[in-house]
Amino acid sequence: MNYISEKVPPVREDRLKACNAFGGSCCELARKGKKGCLNGVKRTFAQTQGCQLNLSLAILNTIRNAVIVVHGPIGCGGGSLSMAGVNKGFQKLRDPNAKGVIWLNTNLDDNDVVNGGEEKLRQAVLYAEREFRPEAIIVVNSCVPAIIGDDIDSILEDLQKQVNAKIVPVHCEGFKTKIMASAYDSVYHGILRNLVGRPEEEEKVVYEDELEVIKEKYRKSRTVNILNVSSMSRQDEEELIRLVKALGLEVRIYPCYASPDDFAYVGEAALNVSICATHDDYFVEHIKEKYGIPFVLRSIPIGIKNTNQWIMDIASFFGLEEKANKLIEVETKELKEALEPFKEQLKGKRVFLGGGEIRILSTAELLQSMGMEVIGLKGYHYDRFAEPLLDMIENNENIVFNVATGQPFEQANLLNRLKPDLYIGHIGTNGYTAKQGFPIFPLFGQSSIYMGYQGAYEIVRKIARVLRNPSFNRNFVGNSKLPYRDEWYEQNPFTYIDDSAAL
Amino acid sequence: MSKFIDRPRYVCALGGAIGTLKNLHRTIPILHAAAGCGGNISNALNYASGYLGSGYCAGQALSSSNVYEQEIVFGGEERLYEQVENTIKIMDGDLYFIVSGCMVEMIGDDIKSVAKRFQDRDITLLAADTGGFHGNFFKGYDIVLSTLFREFTVKTEVKNEKLINLWGIVPVQDVFWKGNLKNLKQLIEDLGYEVNTFFGEDETLDNLKNAGSAVLNVVVSDTAGIEPARVFEEVHGVPYISVPFPIGPHGTREFLTKIAERLGIEKAFADKMIKKHQARYFSYIERIADVYNDLDLQRYAIIVGDSSYAQALARFLSDDLGWIPELVVITDILTDEQKEIVRERFTNFESGLKPKVVFDTDTSSVKRHFRDVWPNNNGSRYYNSFSPAFILGSSFEKDLADELKVPHLSVTYPISNRVVMDRAYAAYDGAIRLTEDIFSALVANR
Repeated sequence: MNYISEKVPPVREDRLKACNAFGGSCCELARKGKKGCLNGVKRTFAQTQGCQLNLSLAILNTIRNAVIVVHGPIGCGGGSLSMAGVNKGFQKLRDPNAKGVIWLNTNLDDNDVVNGGEEKLRQAVLYAEREFRPEAIIVVNSCVPAIIGDDIDSILEDLQKQVNAKIVPVHCEGFKTKIMASAYDSVYHGILRNLVGRPEEEEKVVYEDELEVIKEKYRKSRTVNILNVSSMSRQDEEELIRLVKALGLEVRIYPCYASPDDFAYVGEAALNVSICATHDDYFVEHIKEKYGIPFVLRSIPIGIKNTNQWIMDIASFFGLEEKANKLIEVETKELKEALEPFKEQLKGKRVFLGGGEIRILSTAELLQSMGMEVIGLKGYHYDRFAEPLLDMIENNENIVFNVATGQPFEQANLLNRLKPDLYIGHIGTNGYTAKQGFPIFPLFGQSSIYMGYQGAYEIVRKIARVLRNPSFNRNFVGNSKLPYRDEWYEQNPFTYIDDSAAL
Repeated sequence: MSKFIDRPRYVCALGGAIGTLKNLHRTIPILHAAAGCGGNISNALNYASGYLGSGYCAGQALSSSNVYEQEIVFGGEERLYEQVENTIKIMDGDLYFIVSGCMVEMIGDDIKSVAKRFQDRDITLLAADTGGFHGNFFKGYDIVLSTLFREFTVKTEVKNEKLINLWGIVPVQDVFWKGNLKNLKQLIEDLGYEVNTFFGEDETLDNLKNAGSAVLNVVVSDTAGIEPARVFEEVHGVPYISVPFPIGPHGTREFLTKIAERLGIEKAFADKMIKKHQARYFSYIERIADVYNDLDLQRYAIIVGDSSYAQALARFLSDDLGWIPELVVITDILTDEQKEIVRERFTNFESGLKPKVVFDTDTSSVKRHFRDVWPNNNGSRYYNSFSPAFILGSSFEKDLADELKVPHLSVTYPISNRVVMDRAYAAYDGAIRLTEDIFSALVANR
């Protein structure tokens, strides 16, 4: 894979044939996915979702010592308002002096739509440099400048000569893709082109001493980069670091909550370890191409099976299988004993999961291992990375799968039919699901642990707690109403998915 | 020419339109926009506004045409038609309202003509161009209200002499809007009038529909809602007055007196009512006469927020609470003419104080303005420091408060560190609530 010479990365509809509209069984999904006939499916009724700019900001807002410039009308990136004050706390877990997210919006108005917004972008970048002296100024481009033809790359190239901060253009215009996850490629594209790699002269002067060079080489051969995601917590990271260190390896964490200058050293590791293929494939493929660093991409360390596999994938690269086996054995034994007391309460409970394809499938596997029954899944999109995880799910021929970014109307209808005992969901739609009365546990959280063995225990422990008293949500039944007509619940939940244009 | 903004405290006109519509009873907004517009805006409306929640039909439930490259190239009107058609089938509401995002306006989609194609249906469907680049949240509020007054409110020659309409308290942007509307409504009801606020408790679309029979419109703002008031006057022949948002006895007395005068209410009657409210106010406030004076709880203050709150808070601190507001930073995007009107509000405090008032949209600037009004201690042994002090602003001001080591209360948008339901700061009751909140912050660590 090599798109790095391009200014703009391809979108995922094209690169991965990803789809975001489907309703049917897991089997049918896997079959159609393999045949590649999900691409191009659309909805004739749709609800709003996020765009790749929103999701790009989810990652970029975590970057320390950076200023984000949103080039667009005043609303673009406004979702960051919801992070006002909150995000600083998360950054501080990595650096006590962190300042929290600082963003500027170029405030394009009627006049700029006619005359172009280039001058405002220039002013914003210069202000960012002058006022904050950041390591990087990250410019995210929205729909409007793309249409009016602002040439942001040339402007920023020109500005780079005047400012010390590294300027990182991120092309994430919302209208270009239905697949929000294209954002990950847009962000990594900007990082790869502008932050990764050390300046040449620096490489020459460091480690002149021969012994130091050897030591450094050894260190590098034992170092892995773990690629985190913005929906993870610091505790998740700590758990993964603990597990990898137990193999005798060194760990560095990218990209979330890193500082821009840290990316210079991405190439100085033996292996890139992803926890989510949806998040990282673009990045690890390119790093492999550029630095020859191999990667592990197969599984997410959620649930026992997947965590074991994740550890084993790393270990086998370094020839540490024996050590890994021991670690897995000790960890799983202790964990299984700890989980045992919850089994009786959870056994047979019917659960529906909604969110990112990788997370829902791995979490579903964990819940099945606890004796819970998975009755339905909703993936925000679907592509080939979900296939191996889908195979891991028992009884998958009987599980309904809805591919939908948000689209709570389809889900409301489905849940009304399926009546699960528990709903595990992505932020954004949980409020509406609550009004249907179902007990809810959030699929992820930036303040809780979900990953590794510790995470598996925490997920189970918390679900057990949620189910002990679901009164809060249940009370909404009869007291709150969703905006759908009664007739909607009688229709097929996938009525508005139109596959006539499918490729 | 407008400029970039450092951490803007508002989303775009489309956001204002959605924020306004989502808080109207049984109203279904239909977005004709790119897929991310609604999602992005929902985060700002919900999590940055005291955890307002998704509402009846907003958040991720918002109906949206989600236009992509194909529509941008070939036009999106047919996609919108299909979306409206299906929205009506699925969504249960009394009013459907199409609002547009930047992209579809730039390619020239005519949403009003699409709306016209539904004329013969048994539904009410309106449309307004609300592309984000037209302005910020306040602009969206104005556009939606103007459209509703022009096209939804029924024209009538029959006036109800005891009915008035009140707006200008902008939902979401005033995080305490619902409680504030309730407080102001109750005050005017005490004068013997019925009041439509459209967004208040127990109000429905009928309040909006029947608003044309009112005898007066009260716009509780110097800037927001003025344009809709002009539209209202033009279409329905109902005049308006603009009154500043009141917090506390001084501001509220002026508020009531102005309205009473305009309505021709006998002065003695209005005064009697003011006296009654004031007595109640002091029956509570006198409780803190002890602690205020035992612990010397007078404070210097910095106020940061929109023009409505800025003047109301400054006046309350200055004339009611007896504090020293030194700096007021107004973060709205205003015209020079609007700035003059707003500036006037800070010139007649009874205390004689004249806080420095600056108009600046940039969050980082607050600190710079503070340094201007309060010079640093240049190593001198005796320094008249800015202490003890308090900051009233948004969640953004927490950083400044931490830096100056002073307490802080989030009262202006964005508010992500408080949960707000029917709490209100308007008028007499609101001032009691605000006093509780401010002084609770002061005694929290005793």
